[in-house]
Amino acid sequence: MKNTKIIIAVFLTILTVSCNDDLLSPVPTSAVSADGFYTNDEELEAGVLNMYDGLQGVNDTRSDSNHGTQVEFYLTEMRSDNTRTKSGEGEAAQFETYTVQSTNGIVADYYRSMYNVIYRANTVLQYLDAATTKRDQFEGEAKFVRAYAYFNLVRLFGDVPLVDKVIAPLDTDIAFTRVDKADVYSLIVSDLVTAVANLDDSHKNRASKAAAEALLAKVYLTTGNYSGAQTLCESIMNPARGFELLDNYKDIFYSEGNDEVIFAIGYKNDLTNDSQNFSAEWLNGVGRTSGVNYVTEDVRNAFATYGGVERTKYAFRNDATQTTQYQVVKYLPNGDSALGIDATSSDPTLAGNDWIVLRYADVVLMHVEAILAGGASTSSSNAIASFKLIRDRAGLTTPAVITKEDLLNERRVELAFENQRFYDLVRFGEAVSVLSAYSTTMGYSFTATDLLLPFPNVEIGLSNGVLVQNP
Amino acid sequence: MKKSLYYIENFSIKRWTRVLAFLLVSLVVSSCEEDLPEAGSKADTTPPTSNFSAEEQSGDYLTYLFTNLSNSATDYVWDFGDVASGVNNSSTEENPSHTYPAEGTYTITLTASDKLGVESTFTSSIEVVEPDAPTVFVPTILEAGFEDLSLPDGTGDGRDSWRISGGKIFGITSSPVRTGSQGAKFDAGDPRVAYQELTVTPNADYIVTIHYTMKTSPEGGALRLAILGEAISEASEAEAAIIASTTGTDQTSASDYVEMSLEFNSGNTSTIAIWMDSNNIAEARVDDVSIIAKPE
Repeated sequence: MKNTKIIIAVFLTILTVSCNDDLLSPVPTSAVSADGFYTNDEELEAGVLNMYDGLQGVNDTRSDSNHGTQVEFYLTEMRSDNTRTKSGEGEAAQFETYTVQSTNGIVADYYRSMYNVIYRANTVLQYLDAATTKRDQFEGEAKFVRAYAYFNLVRLFGDVPLVDKVIAPLDTDIAFTRVDKADVYSLIVSDLVTAVANLDDSHKNRASKAAAEALLAKVYLTTGNYSGAQTLCESIMNPARGFELLDNYKDIFYSEGNDEVIFAIGYKNDLTNDSQNFSAEWLNGVGRTSGVNYVTEDVRNAFATYGGVERTKYAFRNDATQTTQYQVVKYLPNGDSALGIDATSSDPTLAGNDWIVLRYADVVLMHVEAILAGGASTSSSNAIASFKLIRDRAGLTTPAVITKEDLLNERRVELAFENQRFYDLVRFGEAVSVLSAYSTTMGYSFTATDLLLPFPNVEIGLSNGVLVQNP
Repeated sequence: MKKSLYYIENFSIKRWTRVLAFLLVSLVVSSCEEDLPEAGSKADTTPPTSNFSAEEQSGDYLTYLFTNLSNSATDYVWDFGDVASGVNNSSTEENPSHTYPAEGTYTITLTASDKLGVESTFTSSIEVVEPDAPTVFVPTILEAGFEDLSLPDGTGDGRDSWRISGGKIFGITSSPVRTGSQGAKFDAGDPRVAYQELTVTPNADYIVTIHYTMKTSPEGGALRLAILGEAISEASEAEAAIIASTTGTDQTSASDYVEMSLEFNSGNTSTIAIWMDSNNIAEARVDDVSIIAKPE
């Protein structure tokens, strides 16, 4: 009897000792798994590139693919007074009329895409110890990408689930519990502060120090830290950093990797895996739609007042096949001989035009915004000097006093169709009044609750009542 | 007997029928009173919850735009807490706006209800405040005329506010002076400096003015007035901190003071410093330093 007890004790000990991960979940030798894959810089860099691949999105027309950045204009520009669908039909038209349903597939697509990008970034961060010489760089890149995805989500949906590590399917509390915006912003800020410290300016299609600084400046402007934003803008505006405003508007968009670009999502023409189709969708029946992101009369009037000839010329054009309609010319896939723009691909739906997320003109105008610091106007020579850079390029005069309205209008025409307008309106506190008036003119149904998108129905369903819908 | 029995039976059947009918009727009546659910109906599990947010209309601090954040509601009644506005104090719009008559704290009540008549009330206060007009703070320069005993507490040797570690303070001159009885003297061949920190409004434009005179020989004299973008602790840090500067080279008279002004923007800081030094070639004097906000 006594021996039996000893034998049981020995067995239990053996069982306890043997119950470690290696035995019960061995690293597979005939397949690639995350645990087995990331062992050095080169392999972890594959994980880093995978994040940018997620931002790029899949170029196809399936409704269950993650199209990432390629569908962003629906949720942002088409929800502003800048663009609309050509036909006014289908779920794409829900954005312009402010009747977005929780069943809208494009909203679900973008939501899914951004959380997928966050997952990819969290994966890099989880296996960071596998890196040797490039650890800081990879950490900076992953945190920049994660912050960028969250900044988009928190501005579109408000309080969102905060996933800051790789989670398993059963971690439903983390996946579906909405976290206060302030907490989401603290993660964004701490991620970007790390990215600023860890990165240099050697990339434009990957995260860089300047990209992290510019994005953090925009976050600070959103949260009201104007002094912090100004310091970051001035850091980028130091001539030693090598950024500048190009003389010619066309070159900003059609000479990729130029000195005005700070961060762009890269696309390669004619490669199914690395090209984009939004350029084709913005044309008349060239893509899958009959034409989306068409230019509104409202923004054309703004260009007539604040745009200047050259800036207007490279912003939009008349649709040759439907002359009452106007198209964006900033990302043409098949060129425009009258404007001297060459095609970027042989198949317009496999376009190579990069999507510019941050450029120097945005930073210069953010500098003015930081000095304005939420006020109604400024006559600070600092602000005037920066504002003048943008106005001079457009061939326009600069006022002695810059009002908030001046700055908002300037940003509208300078950064038109670059998915900035909607966020600008919200950040300037003008979204409700401007979009209400626009909506009334157009017969749309905007109310203040339309500033936040509904969470996708599929997420609400999967959450089992945890994820609470926006009003 | 048999007949009477039948009668009784007959009577009791009729009687029971009546009782039964009475019971049925009362049952129906009572069921109406107790409002029992009909077949297939279910309880209201999503009663209205009312909530709203308020935002000042830009450019008009008296007008507030209300955003209705209520759930499961169809009808709304607003009370803007502004009784004096009469009928305008109430609204049944989903997202109304209201213009208040003056500054003050107002309590807004939103009653949201659904078509079952279930109500939910949410109350919140707003504070209507007129925004301050932006003003530029103009600092006071201490010992601006380099006079003895001119500090606020009545002490000082005319130079105490201008000292910096690692830099030799200028001397005091009594002739020539522009006003008062003293001025600052920057010797030739002996480097002298002046440094004073000032609190300013960030990103504001200022003009600093001094008056100087320089001996007519040797030629090539220069007196520098500069603004440092931050406070420094050692004179050697001054050069790197300069955000604006100007140099005076007027040697036409050793006794007449000339005015020299420097315009600058304070930038993203609330502390700047005035800095003065010379190239040590010709003896220079300075008097009456002043600062103003640049007029718009």
